[in-house]
Amino acid sequence: MLDSIKFKLEVVVPEVEIPKEKWTGRVREVKIGGKGRKEVVVGGATAMPFLDFEGEIPNPPRVAVEVRDDPSGFPPGLLSSWGDDVVNDVGSWAKKAAELGAEIITLRLTSAHPEGQNTGVEEAKSAVDKVLSAVDLPLMVIGPEIADKDNEILVPIADLAEGQRIVLGNCVENNYKTIAAACIAANHIAIAKTPLDINLAKQLNVQVSDIGVPLESILMDADMGALGYGIEYAISIDERLKLAALMGDSVTAVPIINHPGPETWRQKEAKVSEGVPESWGGYDERALYWEELSATSIIHSGADVVTLCHPKAVEYIKSMIAKLMGQ
Amino acid sequence: MSRFIAASTARGARQVIDKADNMLKGALDSLGPDAPVEFKDRSGGPTAYYLPVIYGYLGHKVEKVGDLQYPLDRAKSLLAPEPDENMWLPYLGETLDAGVGTLWAEEIIKGIEFAQGKQPEAKGDFQFNGPIDDGQLRSWGIAMVDGSMPGFAVVIGEAPSNQAAVRIVRELQARGQLVFLSGNVNGRSVVDQLLEEGVDLGYPTYTVSFGSDTESTVYATGYATRAAFSFGNVTPGDWRRVLLYNKFRCFAFALVLGPMDDVKWATGAGAIDYGFPAIANTMVPHILPTGVTRYEDVISEPWDDIPGDTNEKAKRLIDKCIEVRGIKVTIPQPELPVTYGPAFEGEVIRRRDMQVEFGSKSGPGVELLEMKDTDAVEDGKCEVVGPDIDEIDFGNNPNTYFACKIDVAGRAMRDEFEPVLERQLHNLSNEVEGYQHQGQREITWIRVSKKAYEAGLRLKHMGDVFHTTFHNQFGSIVDKIQTTFYTNQEDVEKIMEYARDKYRERDERIGGLKDESVDTFYSCTLCQSFAPTHVCVINPERPGLCGAYTWLDCRAAYEINPRGPNQPVEKGKCLDEAKGEFEGVNQFVYDNSQRTVERMTLYSLMDAPMTTCGCCECNMVLIPEANGIMIVSREDFGETPCGMKFTTLMGQIGGGQQSPGMMGHGKRFVLSEKFISAEGGLRRVVWMSKPLKEELKDDLQQRCEAIGEPDLMDKIADGDICTTVEDLVPFLEEKGHPALSMESMI
Ligand code: SF4
Repeated sequence: MLDSIKFKLEVVVPEVEIPKEKWTGRVREVKIGGKGRKEVVVGGATAMPFLDFEGEIPNPPRVAVEVRDDPSGFPPGLLSSWGDDVVNDVGSWAKKAAELGAEIITLRLTSAHPEGQNTGVEEAKSAVDKVLSAVDLPLMVIGPEIADKDNEILVPIADLAEGQRIVLGNCVENNYKTIAAACIAANHIAIAKTPLDINLAKQLNVQVSDIGVPLESILMDADMGALGYGIEYAISIDERLKLAALMGDSVTAVPIINHPGPETWRQKEAKVSEGVPESWGGYDERALYWEELSATSIIHSGADVVTLCHPKAVEYIKSMIAKLMGQ
Repeated sequence: MSRFIAASTARGARQVIDKADNMLKGALDSLGPDAPVEFKDRSGGPTAYYLPVIYGYLGHKVEKVGDLQYPLDRAKSLLAPEPDENMWLPYLGETLDAGVGTLWAEEIIKGIEFAQGKQPEAKGDFQFNGPIDDGQLRSWGIAMVDGSMPGFAVVIGEAPSNQAAVRIVRELQARGQLVFLSGNVNGRSVVDQLLEEGVDLGYPTYTVSFGSDTESTVYATGYATRAAFSFGNVTPGDWRRVLLYNKFRCFAFALVLGPMDDVKWATGAGAIDYGFPAIANTMVPHILPTGVTRYEDVISEPWDDIPGDTNEKAKRLIDKCIEVRGIKVTIPQPELPVTYGPAFEGEVIRRRDMQVEFGSKSGPGVELLEMKDTDAVEDGKCEVVGPDIDEIDFGNNPNTYFACKIDVAGRAMRDEFEPVLERQLHNLSNEVEGYQHQGQREITWIRVSKKAYEAGLRLKHMGDVFHTTFHNQFGSIVDKIQTTFYTNQEDVEKIMEYARDKYRERDERIGGLKDESVDTFYSCTLCQSFAPTHVCVINPERPGLCGAYTWLDCRAAYEINPRGPNQPVEKGKCLDEAKGEFEGVNQFVYDNSQRTVERMTLYSLMDAPMTTCGCCECNMVLIPEANGIMIVSREDFGETPCGMKFTTLMGQIGGGQQSPGMMGHGKRFVLSEKFISAEGGLRRVVWMSKPLKEELKDDLQQRCEAIGEPDLMDKIADGDICTTVEDLVPFLEEKGHPALSMESMI
């Protein structure tokens, strides 16, 4: 009986059409570095992160590594991953970060904080000098985020690094003019930072460019919290900013910068090793995962530059980016 | 324009250009064409951009004496003949051109003097500064861009007395202006006067002495040109942008002390090209608005006619300069006995914590902001007429009277901005710790906490708050502001009456406007921070759904801040007149809702209604059983016939969704002729929240009569009558509500 039935097995592969978005906009490319310094280009995409079948992604998300001139705000667990001798000198710190694959150095001038060591212009200049002479990577310098103090120390730094297209931050809603002016005068890049609000982000870009900073010299930081600390807001804001840019909105079409590293290392999960529930797992792994997950999430929502802190996070995130870029 | 000035400028220009011509001939002979020409300051500090005015205008680099011939020839070509006796209205353009030629010639003269080693000038033991070097330009430039130093004043000539010279310079410094000094009158100059009075001149004191002749004034326009290169991304030779940059970004002006002469007029004409007006302290003809400078080009403020002593005269003279140049001075935060900031915005002061209450149950409270002539407003003045908080015994006599009257003046102020600014009082007052502001207009309600009172807060402090915040946030339209509080019965009643007329006028102004009579609607996307796909489209006959923005408000807000959340929306082609669907509106909404909302009608509830965000005053919901709609307002906490309370409803439709049959809207939209006109308008309303019905009672009655349904109000149920559909329908049937017999809504 069975013999009389002839089986014909045919596998039909249905034609699956991948739905594609058609975008009209392009994120501007911003060149960081130059004048003897390595140049890194960020931005330039015409598609959402890694979706290169919908457009071009000429530059991968870039990894910056944060060094501080007063490292005391970082938990010991993070500092020991670099080594004590390294973190006490921003030059050596930057050098080691470069060896581990940093593409940009983020120097945060924590020592200038009025409630900390409250150091002045000279100390800030010397920290910048040290990093500039230790590595040839492009530099990002962020003040203590206290308006008057930022203005006081960032202006002379702009002068010092004239023409090297360093990134200076942060321009914020009520204090952007001085830093913006310093960027114009010395041809640097300004970070426009707003607190998780798409309207404000757009408005600040307009204000900073109105004052004379070309949109090709602006990075926007729409702010973020680490995993568990409101990262979902940041994901949504970054994504919406990127979508707006791809839809052709010129003002939001500037690269996005986020700092998942320092955001993570502020939080309890990355700081506390004792007296926490057992289910939290071992401290070392937990803290590291926290940073990696925060960074991964924000990169997928549209960040073009991320600042990281832990050496292993740098390695992990770089390899993730490489794989997703098909490299 | 004045023939006198035109003639004088033409003569002055010729004089300077002839001088440059002679000097250049001499220099070519004695120094040769290859002798270097370079501007430096007195300590040898370098300056970039060659001879900057020439470089800015012509893109021509002057590095040696031979390079000066070309700009000189160009300067000569700009000379027009002196207008003749019978030419009464000479053309301003020729005068301005002569000014440009004068500046080039002056730069040529200074260039040659540098080549000869005669610059910067020395006079006795005093060494003039000459041009400003690059380092200084950069650091002052940053202050100029960030607004801490608005611009510079070039003081030319000699002040009426040494004391006047000192006072004038001090007044300028107090306003953050850089002071540049040049020129003389019969050999004596402001520089001499200041030195005699022991005033320190130099970069550290923001006073720069250019030289003792009028020609050295050209260093000021050179400085301005270099600022445009460094901070305005202007390329050499792009003279138009050099000038525009300075007109809009560099708040400079010339103050000419003592008699004018031809060369001063010609130099002044050159400065006007940069948008820098001239103010003379002598009797000279005016050049009134021309568009080259922001306001007037030349203003005469004769010293002897200014009232007051020397100090007063100096202050008033500089006030005038600041006004003519349109300089906005940022004012530091007011000194308050309590803290100030957005953190206190939502602060609630309970009855037992309050020192005093104005408005609400305690008596009348009113606030009114009006535009006045500039002379009628004394900037920064705050007066309390009647008892201040510390003189009111609220515990024993809880009847208070309150009127807050604000007068503003501004060159760019218009009366339609009044309500927009007035509405700011709410946020601005609430940022003061311990001061609670609610309501608006004639229902203003204020509480001051005991704590704030004990810390020393009084009404008069609020005047300071308004003064600073209006200047800092609305400086583009407000030049002057004064505040008066009234706290006695008689005054408050008077102002209340006056204010009511004013409000009525304002409402009528918008009331008379029809959607058909405008081409442009306005958007509001303020709520996108929490409702990302929500766009309010606001037309004359429909306010924003929060009730806070009318079409006029949006238009004013757009003019005040063209980059803000209120943008013009071109109506475009009308696609459906009855539903109010427009091509332009659809396009705008689509582009601004993250491409989610493809169509949006303005007059329909059932077909593509407006999206709803979280802050609507009311919600309307279709009640199919009644073939009509119910309206619930935010103040109504009770149940409604649709089975949902206000808050539950908001959870359903808020957040930027478009839900046919449900829509958020502003209260006063109910009174509009365009109120869901596609579905039949007011006749469709079968139920309404009681508080809303009460609030709009009189106006609603009028509307009902206008549509030929004078007893409609009695047929509309409210929360007191019923809160379920089961009870609603019989009520409507009994009253004979028109909706029951209208075409089916679905
Ligand atoms: S509800 Fe009011 S504030 Fe919100 S978008 Fe509409 S008009 Fe603007």
